[in-house]
Amino acid sequence: MILPLVILYVVTLIYLSITERFRNFASLIGLQGWLLFGIALVRLHTINPAEFAFIAIETLLFKGILVPWLLFAVIRRTKINRVRRSGSSQSGALLLSLTALVVSGSITYYVADTTVDLVFFGVALYALLSGLILITLRQRIFSHMVGFLVIENGVFLFSTAIGVEMPLVINVAILLDILISVLMLGIFFTKIDGKIHADDADSLTNVKD
Amino acid sequence: MLIYFIASILTALSAFAARNERHLFVAGAAFYAIQAALALWIIAGGAYDTISLGVFRFDAAGTLFFVLLTVVSAFAFAHSESYLHGSDLRQMRTYSALLLLLTTAITGAYFASNLAVTWIFLEATTLCSAGIIYHRRTAQTLEAAWKYVFVCSTGIAMAYLGILLLAAATKCESLSYEAVAAAAPGSNALYLKTAFLLILCGYSCKVELFPLYTVGVDANFAAPAPASALISTGVVNAGFLAILRVYKILAQTDIFPWVRSILILVGVLSLAIGALFLRRTNNYKRFLSYSTVENMGIAAIGLGIGGIGVWAAVFHVVCHTLIKSSLYLQIAIVRQVYNGYRINRIGDYIHINRVGAIGLIIGMVVVMAFPPSPLFISELSILREVIAAGKWWLVCIILLLLCIVIYSFCMRMLRLCYQPNQDELHLSKADRKRSWSALSLLLAAMIVGVWQPGFLARLIDQIASL
Repeated sequence: MILPLVILYVVTLIYLSITERFRNFASLIGLQGWLLFGIALVRLHTINPAEFAFIAIETLLFKGILVPWLLFAVIRRTKINRVRRSGSSQSGALLLSLTALVVSGSITYYVADTTVDLVFFGVALYALLSGLILITLRQRIFSHMVGFLVIENGVFLFSTAIGVEMPLVINVAILLDILISVLMLGIFFTKIDGKIHADDADSLTNVKD
Repeated sequence: MLIYFIASILTALSAFAARNERHLFVAGAAFYAIQAALALWIIAGGAYDTISLGVFRFDAAGTLFFVLLTVVSAFAFAHSESYLHGSDLRQMRTYSALLLLLTTAITGAYFASNLAVTWIFLEATTLCSAGIIYHRRTAQTLEAAWKYVFVCSTGIAMAYLGILLLAAATKCESLSYEAVAAAAPGSNALYLKTAFLLILCGYSCKVELFPLYTVGVDANFAAPAPASALISTGVVNAGFLAILRVYKILAQTDIFPWVRSILILVGVLSLAIGALFLRRTNNYKRFLSYSTVENMGIAAIGLGIGGIGVWAAVFHVVCHTLIKSSLYLQIAIVRQVYNGYRINRIGDYIHINRVGAIGLIIGMVVVMAFPPSPLFISELSILREVIAAGKWWLVCIILLLLCIVIYSFCMRMLRLCYQPNQDELHLSKADRKRSWSALSLLLAAMIVGVWQPGFLARLIDQIASL
């Protein structure tokens, strides 16, 4: 049950690397939220019921509903629809993403150990690399934010995979993390466009030596 | 700790709701009374080295840095009042409340005895700092706040991945430092190395080390100068302590020599970046920020070289807290006098505010590590250990970079004091009083340079013991 969800998650990461429409970005982040909700349901049902309920509800509400809704709100408000200029072509981005997948797989194979679930480790690593690639290749701030959310989702996925019992503090940490994401979206949503009049990271160069 | 958090947060919230500047002052006074009460309770009330709520421990490191934080934060709050006098009340109360919340978050990070709890509180410092950075509501501060939130969040997410990997490698169900340290020897070396790299990279945004030091520099530049005094010391120390605790966990493992090599590399790169940008920047606040990068680089080299270097690194960070906060508070007065920080335009400060100028010149001497600076002791100890280790190439690099630092400091600070001024002046009577106040922190650092009280030496010995 869990493997199809993880494979679908990997597919969303590959698709994120090639898509250029921001609506697709938002939809894919929403889909990832729902997939993580499914994975959390399957993976964590043995832990303390209160913590399990908290993680499941928090994942669904924030990652599956609220964050994508905010992304769509930003798209509507700023009227930006697609990556204007990317550092590489779609095929180049796909190639880079697949390279990251191969690298993640190779590292996972190399560190093969019984201490962690290797599938989750590999996918989390791929998510981290995918997020960094998005942040590096794309110039629009919106894409950077999506890259950050991809990294956050990868970290969450990995946290469900390791043998550590999920204590309440980790739940709080995850919630705080999401709070920061929402704050970032809020800043973007209400301030950046009004003050800087730019959605391009190249415009964020006032603070420098 | 629970009572402390509730009381602190309530006091900070009362600052949010303040109706005038006097209410803000009362909220601040109440907050620092709580801080002082906690410090007294730990030191004199028998709480030292006990555990609270299962995830906090009043150990030597937490206690020493907490006392320093209380002092620096109180100075920052007091100076902020006059620095922001006449500003919009809404902005002032948000700023004050966030400053108090930031102090609370840093306190949580200092006393945390659990990797995840440290991580939570470091993340909380990002939230509070971002609000403070955005205080002026300009495009520049928005940009700096955005970058700070974005890079810190990404960095801290990476650090979290490292923490999870560390827990997985040690097969530990608990994330307490003690449990992980006990289980670390014999763990998978590759996992431990990856975990350390992720944690170091992630927390480098807090400790202002290579590679994510840039956001710290931007944050200090954009935030009001008294708040920069806190960010550049309190937050940086929180990051340093987080790395030091992980360093201690790994001290018992086979990968420790590798960890030390990485710290030396990161330290040298940070020192190099700090030294080179000290020459390049044209803004006094960024100048002080790069000085922080340079000093944290020295501390990282101290940790990397080991032996007496660990003691020196901790001592360096402790004294840097007093020195850098003093310099930031002095530079806050400079900003009020000139309404800017442009190095190539402002000058003649010695005739405008003699006490402030003397404070800056003494600060320059102390931060350059000339006796009786406490940094002289720490840097000399680190160099001695580097020589003892036979790393002559490292000695040459450190000395060369320190020469650049000394040259830059002399040029910039003397220019501020003696070059003809080209900017308009905005003098006030409060300047001299606040200059004396900032100078007192510097004098405290110099006293520590000449004579270290027994309790301080004991605390640092405990912190540095591996």
